[in-house]
Amino acid sequence: QTAPTIKWRLTSGFPKSLDTIYGGAEVLAKRVKELTGGKFQIQVFAAGELVPGGPAALDAVQAGTVECCHTCSYYSFGKEPTFAIGSALPFGMDCRQANAWFYYGNGQKLMDEFFSNYGLQSFPGGNTGTQMGGWYRKELTSLDDIKGLKFRVAGIAGKVWAKLGAVPQQIPGGDIYPSLEKGTIDAAEWVGPYDDEKLGFYKVAKNYYYPGWWEPGLVIHFFVAKKEWDKLPAEYKAAFEAAAFEANVTMMAEYDHKNPAALSRLLSSGVKLRRFSNEIMQAAQKASQEVYAEESAKSPAFKKISEDYFKYAKVQNAWFSIAEASMAQFLHGAK
Amino acid sequence: MEALLTFSRLIDALTERIGKATTWLVMIVALISAGNASMRYSINWSSNALLEIQWYLFSAIFLLCAGYTLMKNEHVRIDIISGRLSAQSRAWIDIFGFVFFFFPMVYLFVSLGWPFFMMSFSGGEMSSNAGGLIRWPVKILLPVGFALLALQGVSELIKRVAFLRGLIADPTEKEGISAEEQLAAEIAATARGERV
Amino acid sequence: MNEFLIANMAPIMFGALIVFMLVGFPVAFALAANGIFFGLLGIHLGLLNESLFMALPERVFGIMNNDTLLAVPFFTFMGLVLERSGLAEELLDTIGQLFGPIRGGLAYAVIFVGALLAATTGVVAASVISMGLISLPIMMRYGYDRKIASGVIAASGTLAQIIPPSLVLIIMADQLGRSVGDLYEGALIPGLTLTALYVGFIFLVSIFRPAAVPALPLEARSLHGMKLLMRTLTSLVPPLLLIFLVLGTIFIGVATPTEGGAMGATGALLLALAKKRLSWRLLRQAMDSTAKLTTFVVFILIGARVFSLTFYGVDGHLWVEELLTALPGGVVGFLIVVNILVFVLAFFLDFFELSFIIVPLLAPVADKLGIDLVWFGVLLAVNMQTSFMHPPFGFALFYLRSVAPKEVKTSEIYWGAIPFVLIQIIMVSLIIVFPNIVSYGDSGHGDTKKPEVELSIEQLQQSGSSDAPAQKDDDLAKTLRGEK
Ligand code: NA
Ligand code: NA
Repeated sequence: QTAPTIKWRLTSGFPKSLDTIYGGAEVLAKRVKELTGGKFQIQVFAAGELVPGGPAALDAVQAGTVECCHTCSYYSFGKEPTFAIGSALPFGMDCRQANAWFYYGNGQKLMDEFFSNYGLQSFPGGNTGTQMGGWYRKELTSLDDIKGLKFRVAGIAGKVWAKLGAVPQQIPGGDIYPSLEKGTIDAAEWVGPYDDEKLGFYKVAKNYYYPGWWEPGLVIHFFVAKKEWDKLPAEYKAAFEAAAFEANVTMMAEYDHKNPAALSRLLSSGVKLRRFSNEIMQAAQKASQEVYAEESAKSPAFKKISEDYFKYAKVQNAWFSIAEASMAQFLHGAK
Repeated sequence: MEALLTFSRLIDALTERIGKATTWLVMIVALISAGNASMRYSINWSSNALLEIQWYLFSAIFLLCAGYTLMKNEHVRIDIISGRLSAQSRAWIDIFGFVFFFFPMVYLFVSLGWPFFMMSFSGGEMSSNAGGLIRWPVKILLPVGFALLALQGVSELIKRVAFLRGLIADPTEKEGISAEEQLAAEIAATARGERV
Repeated sequence: MNEFLIANMAPIMFGALIVFMLVGFPVAFALAANGIFFGLLGIHLGLLNESLFMALPERVFGIMNNDTLLAVPFFTFMGLVLERSGLAEELLDTIGQLFGPIRGGLAYAVIFVGALLAATTGVVAASVISMGLISLPIMMRYGYDRKIASGVIAASGTLAQIIPPSLVLIIMADQLGRSVGDLYEGALIPGLTLTALYVGFIFLVSIFRPAAVPALPLEARSLHGMKLLMRTLTSLVPPLLLIFLVLGTIFIGVATPTEGGAMGATGALLLALAKKRLSWRLLRQAMDSTAKLTTFVVFILIGARVFSLTFYGVDGHLWVEELLTALPGGVVGFLIVVNILVFVLAFFLDFFELSFIIVPLLAPVADKLGIDLVWFGVLLAVNMQTSFMHPPFGFALFYLRSVAPKEVKTSEIYWGAIPFVLIQIIMVSLIIVFPNIVSYGDSGHGDTKKPEVELSIEQLQQSGSSDAPAQKDDDLAKTLRGEK
């Protein structure tokens, strides 16, 4: 029996300008093609070429417009809060912990159970690592400085910031930079040093905060329409899975490779690196828990999966605080 | 044919009503937007609901006025060639256009727009922004707007056929004066110092 | 046959688009029909997936939640209210009196008022109609050459399109994925330079053909001295206030460019109210025209989205890219070809159609060639401005014809526009030769390369306090077991 030629289309939730995230889909397409001797071809479309970015990529898979997409499930948070868990939760797990949860914990099983309600099969396919906390025109010296802070932040994180008194604002993409420059908004968050540098925020808002506690390890997924997945020959499934693993690992490595140099460039251009104070972090963590309680009351799936997620996170953090953290502390503290 | 023309007049009346009512949104959305900007600047208060209602209303303007604009023959055409033809020939062009260009498009949008709305409605989709709005009211505008546009297309088609049969005057001849002519008259009156 | 179709789908589709549009049915539906027809053909030939059209609702939804396009009704509404408020008439009257007694003075007044109106709004029709109604008869009464008179009015009216705020720039920003504010800033100096070139042209005419632009006799003035000065100052207040409301609020950070439009619209309403010109009828008319214009503009975009879905599906964008990157002369070759193409297409298409069909195909190529997209957008906007002035289809000429006295021959209006079309071409060349004319903010698009600096741990340490809480050992043990 000869292997069939299969052509799929993949829509990315990201524009080509986010080259590292967008590149994840190209890693998958290239590897799948190589592993199947050129028989299984996946054509990659950037956000906007077939359908817009954001939640539209996932909708396009669900509607059958494309066979698969590469995007963050939290864009669909408005449909069902559980979609946020697939990508990142404030004070949730980092990249390695999330991989552990997905691959060896209950993550993959629980999320696929949830995604199957939407006819989707999911594969972790990239990670940004812990993000930065965004660019602020003024220093945040206390919780009071957050009151009335006009902040460009989306999704579940926006709900947490709103609880702290901020005014989450949605500004059209191209206008984020000028709005920050002119002071129409006071702060904006994006990804991390490498992607942030490209948008030029450092020229107009010098306070660069960390850590991005609302995205401690943003997972990007490949989503495949289940009915298309079921039609694939077993070897093609294996090729797809292997390629998704590779995209997942290499994106993180690529970010780790690119971010230090970008951060050093930012620092040398006068950026003030600032850490969120414990007061802010603790208040934000408390606010996050309130948000989780509210979402759990609305959605049984969110309640069930987020409980498993945070139970797992707690164990992970305890473990990471031993060898990992002390080694990091020693190395980073050494003169 | 007389029955069809009555039907066409009913559609026109409906389109006129919906169109005229919708035009008010132009001013309403401008006031909301200016208000939001002022309040955000002066008292640091704003909300995503206020931002989102702006594009909800913007969508309503062009989707609910689509049929109205068609009825007023204001969807732009390139009339380099057709402008030199007789009114009869132009009516034939329109009949061809409605059948082969217009109806396939509106059919696609109505038939695909409905499940698009239903997916959002049945899942109770909300905005993913803090304090944002529920989504189905804006998504239903898509199939509804195109359905109203389709209906007006039916009316226009009837009118073109009736015109070719000599039953009515050329429906593309704008009744009364155009917006530009109206504007010119008003400016002229203003220049003469009259109240308009 | 099928092989030929499959291999040449993109060029065939593009060629057919021209035929579809020339039929004379509304462009929006012709565009969509082209996309649907070739989509079905592509599916039949196995080039495209049956589910292709399922993307359409999402694509239209992307237009619906587009905050940038929301500025289109705002600026249109503002312009329409404003033109009925008597602002233009007052300006023309006063500035005309001020400049009238010098040679070419009325023409200068028209250019000056055209630029001022342009800085408050973006509606060419309104500017041309106002100036055509008020200035053209006066210019004719005092013996202006009809060609020069109508040319300067039509051209000054089109300044509305290039001096910010403007609909062209808003739509261009949307199509290029750049900030409206950046395009506004970038277009400011080219817009003013263009105004200066118009002035220069009139100056040359006043030297070489003084009879064409005579000075007004002093008795044509009804105001003198201090009275005239006061009138001038007071008539300048409302437009300056509006300029502040629209551009000022954007530049000082009160509003986004879209909201700036809403501020301007609200301001125009207040101005009309203050001048006691705001009637229900005026309001309804302005809203009615705005709604119809917004609808036809957005529908062209919807049609273009249906077209481009199939066009992208058959790799049309790659075809265009190969075609344009293979041009001799690299970037310069590309710019020359693109500008000639846009100039020629502008004879047939207005700027909405150009922006929605052509710009999305050109922008990725320009980006790939390393061309700054804000600069590119301003360049195209200046070029497209000619689409209003091209005889015989330019809209500005059409509007002027509708209000010009009968004695003015249509051919005179056409001939009068030609020098200004040439000035436009000069301006396009100036932007290409001196790209720095288009300067905008300190906006970062990451092109500026920073020197590589090693990230030092000291920098990191200094910048943040290390106040991580320590954990008790037994607590930790429990947590590790998942008991806590
Ligand atoms: Na982020
Ligand atoms: Na303007």
